[in-house]
Amino acid sequence: MNTPVMVERIAETSPRRKARITGVVYLLYFLTAVLAVFFMRGIVVDGDAAATAHNILAHEPLFRLGLATSLIATALYIAVTGLFYGLFKPVNRSVSLLAAFFSLVGCAILALSHLFDLAPFVVLGSAQYLSAFKVEQLQALTMMFLNFGAQTVNICFVFFGFYCLLIGYLIFRSAFLPRFLGVLMALAGLGWLTFLSPPFANRLSPYNLVLGFLAELSLMLWLLAMGVNVQRWKEQASAAPKEERV
Amino acid sequence: MSTTAMTDRITEVSPRFKARMAGAFQLLEAITASFPGVFVLGKLVVDGNAVATAANILGHVRLFWLGFASSLIGVACHIAWALLMYELLKPVNRSLSLLAAFGILVGCAVQALTSLFYLAPLLILQGGGSFSAFTAEQLQALALMFVKLNSYANDIYLVFYGFWCVLTGYLIFRSTFLPRVLGVLLAITGLGWVMYLYPPLAHYLFLPYIAVASALGEIPLESWLIMMGVNAQRWKEQASTAGDWRS
Repeated sequence: MNTPVMVERIAETSPRRKARITGVVYLLYFLTAVLAVFFMRGIVVDGDAAATAHNILAHEPLFRLGLATSLIATALYIAVTGLFYGLFKPVNRSVSLLAAFFSLVGCAILALSHLFDLAPFVVLGSAQYLSAFKVEQLQALTMMFLNFGAQTVNICFVFFGFYCLLIGYLIFRSAFLPRFLGVLMALAGLGWLTFLSPPFANRLSPYNLVLGFLAELSLMLWLLAMGVNVQRWKEQASAAPKEERV
Repeated sequence: MSTTAMTDRITEVSPRFKARMAGAFQLLEAITASFPGVFVLGKLVVDGNAVATAANILGHVRLFWLGFASSLIGVACHIAWALLMYELLKPVNRSLSLLAAFGILVGCAVQALTSLFYLAPLLILQGGGSFSAFTAEQLQALALMFVKLNSYANDIYLVFYGFWCVLTGYLIFRSTFLPRVLGVLLAITGLGWVMYLYPPLAHYLFLPYIAVASALGEIPLESWLIMMGVNAQRWKEQASTAGDWRS
């Protein structure tokens, strides 16, 4: 097969295949995100700086593996964002792009949160200069950085909240995905938006998180199993205004 | 001139000119973004010695600020470079090209924020009386901690840059208007940077493997883009047949 024909074949990727690819990447994101939590479980002990410091040093490879997995999950979510943008462009190009921008800002903040989780390896290192601080002070600093990290993740939840709200709206307005998925995603978005006030979000926990998890899980499974209604997707795509393509 | 005419004129910028600009921004990015790490911190930081590092930083405040400005200009060049590469490679595969652009935008945001951690040592050391609750040794130690954190933040940026290099390398490989070997080399470079997912491994491999892979991937690409641009005829052919995942 010569190159132009192959290129055309790629160009003709059907919306169903696109939906399936989105589902697969979404699934990979879920798996890596859960795996990262699994690797790092039990290492940070709330309110106990000494135990946390001890755990991090005792399980350094595992902790680092968890962070690497979590970074891969972030990269996969960027891919999900790009795929959703392509999928929902026919519904409303501007809203779809706006949603993608919210998600990208969220992903950037999420990526940065990893830095604070890496900070303990500086603070708890064996370098001589660290002896300017008492051991308890270094452990407290470790806890401080880990808390910064947790709060950074809380900030990105807000942006993912707006993202889920917009995706919910796009699904609802689309003709090619069931409306209940849109409602679920919008509710999930509201759940994430509770992180505008982290103390409030913590009081609602785990209900606000379960909502988001269930909504995203259903959307992912639907995309994997059912894909989209191709006929309707194409109708909506051809009805969309022909602006300059992004 | 009407808006439409202006838009037309902008879209009509030849692919060859875009490619040359992309190469120029890549070169500028390489110089300005590596300046603070290599020529400022590399010169001023004495590994493991907080006292000497602090003295060096306070003795070269203007150089330090120059490094700060240089790193931000580097990010700006990186964004311009990424946008131009997106435009150039769109005809190959619109979706993958957009994905690469999204990924590197996240990387650039991280890259921009590393400048905060770059600056932190100076802010701590120049704190004066308001920081006197800490001993001089403690402030010096804090300053050195933030130097390390700056390099950790850079490691995170490198992961996203690595993913971008792999995707962009693939797109160059599949393009008809750039030599395939440039794509292969860039993808290999990208795999090197992706090693920063596990920084101890990356630091172990950096010399010579990742550094050599980076030079072999990036220098030929920017040289080619600046001197040869792209094959404009073939670019237009591929652009007219493309329409990937069109709406």
